Amino acid sequence: MAVQYWRIKDRYYRLIGSKCRECGAEFFPPVYRCRRCGSGGIEDKEMPKKGEIMTYTQLHQPLPGFEAQAPFYLAVVKLDNGARVLSQVVDSHEESVRTGARVRATVRRAKVDGDSGQIFYGYKFVVEN
Amino acid sequence: MPRSKVYVSSAGFTKIGDQWGKSLLDLAVEAARGALKGTSKVKPQQIFVGNMFSAMGARQEHLGALLASALGLAGVPSVKVESACSSGGSAFNIAYSLVRSGVLDSALVVGVEKMRDLEPEEVSLALAMAESAEYTQFVGASFAALNGLLARYYMEQLDVSREDLSAIPVIDHANAVMAGHAQFRKAITSDVVSRSGMVADPLRLFDCAPVGDGAAAVLLVNDKTASRSKRKMAEVLGGRIVTNEFSFYEREDMLDFNATREAFVGAMAQAGLSPQKLSFAEIHDAFSVVGALALEAMGFSRRGCGSKDAKEGKYSEGSDLPINTFGGLKARGHPVGATGVYQVAEAYLQLTDQAGKNQVEDADFGITHSIGGVDTTSVVHVFGKAS
Amino acid sequence: MHLMKSSRPSAILGYGAYIPFYRLLTSEIARVWKRGGSGPNLEKTVASMDEDTVTMAIEASSHAMKMAGIAELGAVFVGTESKPYAVKPTSTMVAQALGQHHTLAADLEFACKAGTEAIQVITGLVGSGMIEAGLAIGMDTAQGRPGDDLEYSAASGGAAYVIGRSGKDAVALIDCSTSFVSDTAEYWRRAHEKYPRHLSRFTGEPAYFSHIETSVKTLFKETGYKPSDFAHAVFHQPNPRFPVEVASRLGFSMEQIKTGLLNPMIGNTYAGNSLIGLAAVLDEAKPGDKILLASFGSGAGSDAFCIEVLDGIKRTRGINPTVISMLKRNLKIDYAIYSKFRDKLEK
Repeated sequence: MAVQYWRIKDRYYRLIGSKCRECGAEFFPPVYRCRRCGSGGIEDKEMPKKGEIMTYTQLHQPLPGFEAQAPFYLAVVKLDNGARVLSQVVDSHEESVRTGARVRATVRRAKVDGDSGQIFYGYKFVVEN
Repeated sequence: MPRSKVYVSSAGFTKIGDQWGKSLLDLAVEAARGALKGTSKVKPQQIFVGNMFSAMGARQEHLGALLASALGLAGVPSVKVESACSSGGSAFNIAYSLVRSGVLDSALVVGVEKMRDLEPEEVSLALAMAESAEYTQFVGASFAALNGLLARYYMEQLDVSREDLSAIPVIDHANAVMAGHAQFRKAITSDVVSRSGMVADPLRLFDCAPVGDGAAAVLLVNDKTASRSKRKMAEVLGGRIVTNEFSFYEREDMLDFNATREAFVGAMAQAGLSPQKLSFAEIHDAFSVVGALALEAMGFSRRGCGSKDAKEGKYSEGSDLPINTFGGLKARGHPVGATGVYQVAEAYLQLTDQAGKNQVEDADFGITHSIGGVDTTSVVHVFGKAS
Repeated sequence: MHLMKSSRPSAILGYGAYIPFYRLLTSEIARVWKRGGSGPNLEKTVASMDEDTVTMAIEASSHAMKMAGIAELGAVFVGTESKPYAVKPTSTMVAQALGQHHTLAADLEFACKAGTEAIQVITGLVGSGMIEAGLAIGMDTAQGRPGDDLEYSAASGGAAYVIGRSGKDAVALIDCSTSFVSDTAEYWRRAHEKYPRHLSRFTGEPAYFSHIETSVKTLFKETGYKPSDFAHAVFHQPNPRFPVEVASRLGFSMEQIKTGLLNPMIGNTYAGNSLIGLAAVLDEAKPGDKILLASFGSGAGSDAFCIEVLDGIKRTRGINPTVISMLKRNLKIDYAIYSKFRDKLEK
């Protein structure tokens, strides 16, 4: 996991996704080919850090490593550039987590490898209010 | 190119559930022997093993050779096929294609999954491997969470109620009562579904297929081989695998299961059959919302009406298109890599009048539908009675 | 001559505070340990279980960089006593998150004054011409020993300051500073311990008061400044009482210290403490205002600064959330959730 994380850490810290040089469409996670026009002319692009919730769920049965946080919210966030990101929504008043809510990205501890292993940081979203 | 006719000549399968006393290989051998029983004249020319997570579940790969050797068939080419929860369906499709094209005269397809040896969170991780390690597993989204996101979107965008969503699990449980191999054989009410424990809001326990162990096997033969037998058979009339944009939330319209639609249309075209001719459909309802969207994608229900139509009785036993005649994924069970082959075995039972108390009257044609991921790989096969 | 003044004028170009979402009332702590009452502060800020000094530093720095509007940093220094790793610098993770690589990076430790030390170091690097701009951060997820008096105040949060060459867009000039230290152990944490230890009454006169009074009086002596020259004064605030007392002794009024006095609502964010107070003052200060900033770090020492607000402060309004707005956005939790969040439960 340590090397797998290190390889794409900028994607986790800064939401660096893809931009199509041909048609300008932007994506996160990054792509090899443009989903809109099919072009292979793809370059890295930092995503905007704000968007809105398209849909959300509250997960009660977590994956290993996420037990302490359960239940927690996950959402499909449509960023202001149209890219869609799957991410947790944290530190928000319960009633504010709704389809259509405006959210902003922040960096949090995503996974921790026990007490002696590494800490892996990643993006999560917070409702703007 | 000359094409053979292809038949399912026999099937074998284990009961689905907590098979503590049987290993992955025990289950696979049991199912395979069931399919090979009474077919001593036929030695399969190739074996395909459908399985999703033997590595994580049993620290075991190389299932093809493992099973061939165990069956006393060392020497026969044998490989594992994996496409997440549609592994069994894909294994069947590849076998079907090779027999149809004349490369093989016969093939044995075995789907097997051992889930119960793992702790629940480990099963969750194994299933999550159907989705992106770096961007889905990493953010803590389990496979159920993805379907929860889909379910809320479905309910909010298309005005589907909690009660609507509960309809398909109710049908599954009703059909499994008389199914000997089913994991859960108790009928339930809509309320039971709607009030069960929360898994990934809005999906509750009874919206989700259970964890279970099982193996199913079918033997495929071509017309040349089939003519030597007096057995009743089901004919495979068509089959397609279609892949989709990998992450469902990146698709233009999340509520359009286009891979399922294309697989269905393609398989039906290959069969030269119109949808009205179908007598039953074994659909992949790993989650209630997935069953609904599959029915809509295949055109049996209009957009947003999959669950609502089920609630009105459109897919119940005795209707024009009964679904999941032995209980589907929710009640018959879903030992993931095996499910696609269970579905074929069930279609075979229906079309050879061997379905007992689950028999669909005058079953002429039927389909099986298997999904990996969230309509990420979709596999549809069409079956008919052997002429 | 004990005054530190940079050769080239150095100024704050941007700043950003970070205060987490959760709050624990000190009456909750008292309920568990003393069956009633409350602590000296009303409530304290609590970082969530997925937050740490790295994540909070990144958030505050992003705000500071946005306000500063510069592209490159020559140094990133993080002052903290709650590094997630004993060995692996917090500053490189902050630098990576900001896309900065050609930069000096290091973590500093001097209890509650590590943040102001970072400001001094960056000011020196900028002022000497060695770098154009740098980032100084003071941030902590202070761990309070369960049942100990300091648990009432040990809180999470801090602030980040982008410091560079003073110019027309600069927010506030770092006019000068002085530092006073001695080997005074009133509060400490041994290398493998989870929680600090401390003396009680000894933390007052010989530690807090002696060092702050000395650094500030030294500053006054070297510069000729008097309390009345300052519109605002921010003192390290481990509790609500000490900063009020030391302000009074040094000749400052309540009016001068009230904007930066937030301990009752925040608690003690250790290395972030006086830096959050400074941010709160900057949120409201006017061009021309002089600010006295005096930190105190156990071990022990005090840094005193004279900071002068510039015209550039006018352009900063509305760019980042203010300290007050972050204080207002909160959710109260109980002692059980706080224990879980801050990893106090043995599994």
